[in-house]
Amino acid sequence: MTKPILIVGGGPAGLAAAHAAASLGHASVLVEKMDRLGGAPILSGYAKLVPSHEWAKDAIGGMVTRVEQSPSIAVVKNAKVKAFEGTPGNFRATLTNGEAYDVGAAILTTGFTHFDSINKPEWGFGTFPDVVTTTQVEQMISSGKGVKCPSDGRKPKRVAILLCVGSRDRQIGREWCSKICCTVSANMAMEIREELPDCHVYIYYMDIRTFGHYEAEYYWKSQEEFKVKYIKARIAEVTGDGKQLFVKGEDTLVKRPITIPFDMVVHAIGMDPNVDNMTLSAVFGVDLHKHGFIGRKDAYGVMGATSRAGVFVAGAAIGPETIDDSIAQASAATMSAIASLRGTIPQAVE
Amino acid sequence: MPIHEKSLIRPENIKTKENLIVEGIDVSGHWSTFIESRAVTDYNEELQEEIGALPGGEFIHRCWQCGSCTNACTVHAIEPRFNPRYWIYLIRMGYESELVRDKDIIWQCVSCNKCTYACPRDVVPEGVMKATAHWLELKGYTEKSPSTIFDEEFSRQIIARGKIEDTEVLHKFLHKTKQPLMQDWLVTIGRNIAMRLPVKWGLKMMWAQVFKPKTKDWAKSRKAIEDYIIEQDAHHRHALKLDAPKSKATAHQPKLHAAE
Ligand SMILES: Cc1cc2nc3c(=O)[nH]c(=O)nc-3n(C[C@H](O)[C@H](O)[C@H](O)COP(=O)(O)OP(=O)(O)OC[C@H]3O[C@@H](n4cnc5c(N)ncnc54)[C@H](O)[C@@H]3O)c2cc1C
Ligand code: SF4
Ligand code: SF4
Ligand code: SF4
Repeated sequence: MTKPILIVGGGPAGLAAAHAAASLGHASVLVEKMDRLGGAPILSGYAKLVPSHEWAKDAIGGMVTRVEQSPSIAVVKNAKVKAFEGTPGNFRATLTNGEAYDVGAAILTTGFTHFDSINKPEWGFGTFPDVVTTTQVEQMISSGKGVKCPSDGRKPKRVAILLCVGSRDRQIGREWCSKICCTVSANMAMEIREELPDCHVYIYYMDIRTFGHYEAEYYWKSQEEFKVKYIKARIAEVTGDGKQLFVKGEDTLVKRPITIPFDMVVHAIGMDPNVDNMTLSAVFGVDLHKHGFIGRKDAYGVMGATSRAGVFVAGAAIGPETIDDSIAQASAATMSAIASLRGTIPQAVE
Repeated sequence: MPIHEKSLIRPENIKTKENLIVEGIDVSGHWSTFIESRAVTDYNEELQEEIGALPGGEFIHRCWQCGSCTNACTVHAIEPRFNPRYWIYLIRMGYESELVRDKDIIWQCVSCNKCTYACPRDVVPEGVMKATAHWLELKGYTEKSPSTIFDEEFSRQIIARGKIEDTEVLHKFLHKTKQPLMQDWLVTIGRNIAMRLPVKWGLKMMWAQVFKPKTKDWAKSRKAIEDYIIEQDAHHRHALKLDAPKSKATAHQPKLHAAE
């Protein structure tokens, strides 16, 4: 009997990997550092997901239940992997809680870390209470408390969403696009307009990247049905006078400086590499991508392969990914992991 | 000057003061010339709603500023300041004063609909141009355009009689727009008609000019059309927060009651 697979991280990718292994009749150990499974959508309290429109707690909650009830998945919470030694087919993983597991392969589904808006002080987060992030607004909606200005609890009459906060910005060393935040913002704008029909929502963008089916369903719909306004401007500065916030920048389409009052400003925060990646790299002996995500060995050979044989990677651990893609990658990486244990691993074309 | 090459300093924004004291220092002379800030300090959310409420403006909020309409536009080709893409943006963001600056160009749309066929988002820019010209008139920024005057006369006759009498339309249009009746091209047409038209038809035409026949049983249709126009007019005025017309007779457009 081949050994179980170690899956590190219980977000959408890890849950999908464990489920994929179980459905192929293969045992797995799922190690999660937090006290709950579900990853970012659950831990950060996302509201309705793109593109299913399902509440995160229902959609991802369903994946969690499926994993927790499976007899072939051992779930270990509140733990990390401290050491990972051995050779493909024959690894030993020692956890921070003192337990150890003999496993045949590992899949890293350790995900991402939300960009911390404090690192863009010019946009007012941390200085003005009514400057918030997309995760905070997701929580306002998912908790049922509604969208309100944190300073005094009033319902905003005008909201600005600033795109690409913590993405596409050399000043802070982030050269990637976080892929999902345009669509998440369009979705959020519609949710705000639905909840507060008198509240006008403006989205400040450099490009709109609502790829594939997200174009009609989010970008177009937000304009056509919800009258969300999009302004091509990268905001230079957010200031405030204690009553209102002022968004300053250049409206590039009319070549005019703007200083517009708002009640609430939302940062569409991006996806950073997981802060644990240096440690993960050392423990698992895997190379990192130049931007700090976990590196893939190649794009078209063995799905999810890393620089170390027997260790695979999937989901937002690789780079900014959607939930759908994280799930698909995790299923593919599970196939690679199981194939590696059966000795049928194909070699990448040189 | 095309929008993208627009000069950033407008003559009217250059302010020179004879005498000026700034923080206690006399800066009269050279130093008293300033350029007023071009910064936009607020959006007027009403503007898009208002123009969107007029016929043709319904889809304005779809626009994503690709510029296909301007690129396709017949008028833009000869008048670079004619830029539907730009005006749509001004309306969407509520840059009202900026829009009004172009009031004497906007109505020049020739309704060729090239923009309509070019637009990837079905904004129907031609409709937006019409709605914008209409808005400028309703708000009192512009006089009625010649085409509005023509339409009004045309509709007035249709509403009154269910028919138009061509010579009367032309005659009244020229009169209202203060143009001479004896235009070379008109004289030529008139002469040719007189020479070539069979006598019977010529008599019929003259009869129609004098007696102005009505379509049979027109009264009911006329009432329905009038009611509809009053309703629409009230609706538009309400959207623009204008006073309701005092009576049927002052309803904006078209004039409802034929003189006869
Ligand atoms: C504001 C916002 C809204 C979003 N909305 C959507 C949406 O609507 N639709 C969509 O498709 N995508 C959305 N996304 C993207 C979505 O969050 C990711 O695609 C998804 O979370 C990736 O799943 P993952 O399992 O790869 O990573 P994660 O969700 O980050 O899960 C990683 C898991 O690994 C655990 N972990 C991390 N390090 C360790 C370690 N060292 N040891 C053990 N465990 C560890 C973490 O605690 C976590 O549980 C959104 C992103 C943001 C920022
Ligand atoms: S998805 Fe949109 S908001 Fe997010 S980084 Fe890319 S361009 Fe910016
Ligand atoms: S309909 Fe008017 S705006 Fe459209 S292309 Fe023709 S002239 Fe230009
Ligand atoms: S073609 Fe349509 S979408 Fe493009 S700028 Fe013109 S109106 Fe807007």
